[in-house]
Amino acid sequence: MTNDKLIQVKDLKKYYNKGKIKALDGVTVDINKGDVMVIIGPSGSGKSTFLRSLNLLEVPTSGSIIFEGVDITQKKGPDGKKLDIDLHRQKMGMVFQHFNLFPHKTILENMTLAPIRVKKVPEEEAKAKALELLNRVGLADRADAYPIQLSGGQKQRVAIVRALAMEPDVMLFDEPTSALDPEMVGEVLDVMKELAHAGMTMAVVTHEMGFAREVGNRVLFMADGKLLEEGSPEQIFGSPQNPRLQDFLSKVL
Amino acid sequence: MLTAQGFSKAFEYWQLFLQGVACTVSLSALTVIFGFILALFLAVCRMGKMKVLKALATAYVELFRATPMVVQIFIIFYVVFDGVKVLPGFKLFGFIRFERFFPAVVALSLNSGAYLSEIIRSGIQSIDGGQTEAARSLGLNAWKTMRFVVLPQAIKNILPAIANEFVTIIKESAICYTIGVQDIMSAVNAVKGATYRMGEALIIATALYFCLTYPTSKIIAHFERKMSVGDKR
Ligand SMILES: Nc1ncnc2c1ncn2[C@@H]1O[C@H](COP(=O)(O)OP(=O)(O)O)[C@@H](O)[C@H]1O
Ligand SMILES: [Mg+2]
Repeated sequence: MTNDKLIQVKDLKKYYNKGKIKALDGVTVDINKGDVMVIIGPSGSGKSTFLRSLNLLEVPTSGSIIFEGVDITQKKGPDGKKLDIDLHRQKMGMVFQHFNLFPHKTILENMTLAPIRVKKVPEEEAKAKALELLNRVGLADRADAYPIQLSGGQKQRVAIVRALAMEPDVMLFDEPTSALDPEMVGEVLDVMKELAHAGMTMAVVTHEMGFAREVGNRVLFMADGKLLEEGSPEQIFGSPQNPRLQDFLSKVL
Repeated sequence: MLTAQGFSKAFEYWQLFLQGVACTVSLSALTVIFGFILALFLAVCRMGKMKVLKALATAYVELFRATPMVVQIFIIFYVVFDGVKVLPGFKLFGFIRFERFFPAVVALSLNSGAYLSEIIRSGIQSIDGGQTEAARSLGLNAWKTMRFVVLPQAIKNILPAIANEFVTIIKESAICYTIGVQDIMSAVNAVKGATYRMGEALIIATALYFCLTYPTSKIIAHFERKMSVGDKR
C-alpha cells in the first residue's frame, strides 16, 4: 500500500432483502489523500449506501474497506483484538442531507460532545476549538443558540464544523445541499470549497454539477449499485463514454 | 355517616397515618428507582439484536401487563418469599416490617418495570434514526449515543407518560396492605379495627394520597417545562 491511499474499497457489495436488492454490486475504488471525489448518479443508484458503508453505518454484505491500512470490515483488528470501529469513525467526518444536529444541545454543545466524551479533550480546550471553527464559518455569535433557531444553511455549516471538531482525516458528504432552500446552497458549498482548498480529503455525493466541475478532482458515476465511469471533471462532463452517463448528464445539465 | 367525633377519634391515630405516609413514600420511591432500572434493561433487550433476550423480555412484559397486580403481589409474597419465612424479620425506621415491605417493593418494581419499559421503548423509537447515525459517525459508541443523544430526547418526550406511571405507582401501592405492609391503607384498617368506623379514616387516606400524587405530577410538569428549552424559538 502506498502512503497516499487513504481508503481502498475492494469489490464492495451490499444486498438487501436476501439479495433481491443490490444496493452496491461490486464497487472498487481508491480514495487518495487530498482527493475531492464527487459521486454522481441517478437516485437509487447506491451513492448513499456507498458513502455510508465507508464508515460502516451500513455493514457491507461482502468486500473490504481498508482505511489507513486497516480493513475495517473485519471483526478483528491488526492487533488480533476486536476491531474498534468507533476509533476509525472518529477519523471520518460525516455530513448528512438532513443535518442531524442534536436538538437538545446548543450549537457549542453539539460541537464539543464528541471531543469531550470520546476523545477526552478538556472542556475548555474543546470549547475554544469549537468557537474557532464556528468563527471560520461565520457563526461564532450563534454558539449558544439551539439548532431550531438556525436556518437550514446555518445548520449545515454547523454540522460540517461539528464533524471537523473531531479532526478527521476524511469528510463524507451525502447530498449536503439537497434539503436546503436554493438561496442557502451557496453558503454551504463555499464552506466545502474552502475545506477542499485547505487540503481536506473529501467524498461528496451531490447533484451540484457546478461544484463537481469546479472543486472536484475526480468524478465517479454510479448506476444500479455499480461504478460505471470515473474520471476528471473534464472527462466526465466533457466527453462522457457510458451511455447511461450521457443520458444522466443530458437530464441534469 | 361521617361525624366530627369520628374524625377526632381517627385523628388520635395520627401516628399510624404518619407512618403510613412514610411507608407509602418509601415503597413508591424504591419502586420508581428499581422499576426504572428494570425498565431500561427490558427496553434495551426488546430493541436489541439477541433473539432470545428479545423473546424473554417481550414475554415478561406481556405477562405482567396481562395479569392482576394483586395476583402478582400474592405470588411474590406467598410463593417466592414463602410468606415471612424467608426474609429476616427486622424493622426499618423502627416500624416498617422488612419481611413484608421487601416483597412489596419487589412485586411493585417487577410490575411497573413492565409498564415503564413500554413507555421507554416507544420514547426511544420516536427519536429519528439520523440522531443515532450522527452520533455514531462522530465516534460515540452505542452506549454513549444512548446516554448523551437518544435518552435525553426520549425522556423529554415521554415525561408525561412517566409522570403518569409514578402517580399510578403511588396509588397502586395501596394494594400492599393486603400482605401486611404498614402503608396508608393499613392505617385505615387499624383505625377500623380499633374504632369500628372506617369512613373518616378513608377520607383522611384520600386526602393523604392526593397530597402525595398531586405535587408529584406538578413537580414533573415543572421539569418538563425546563427540559423543553431546546424547542423554543
Ligand atoms: N435499508 C434498506 N432496505 C432495503 N433497501 C434499501 C435500503 N437502503 C437502501 N436501499 C435500496 O438500495 C438502493 C440504493 O439506495 P441509495 O444508496 O440510498 O441510493 P442513492 O443514494 O443513490 O439514491 C435503492 O434501490 C434503495 O431502495
Ligand atoms: Mg442518497
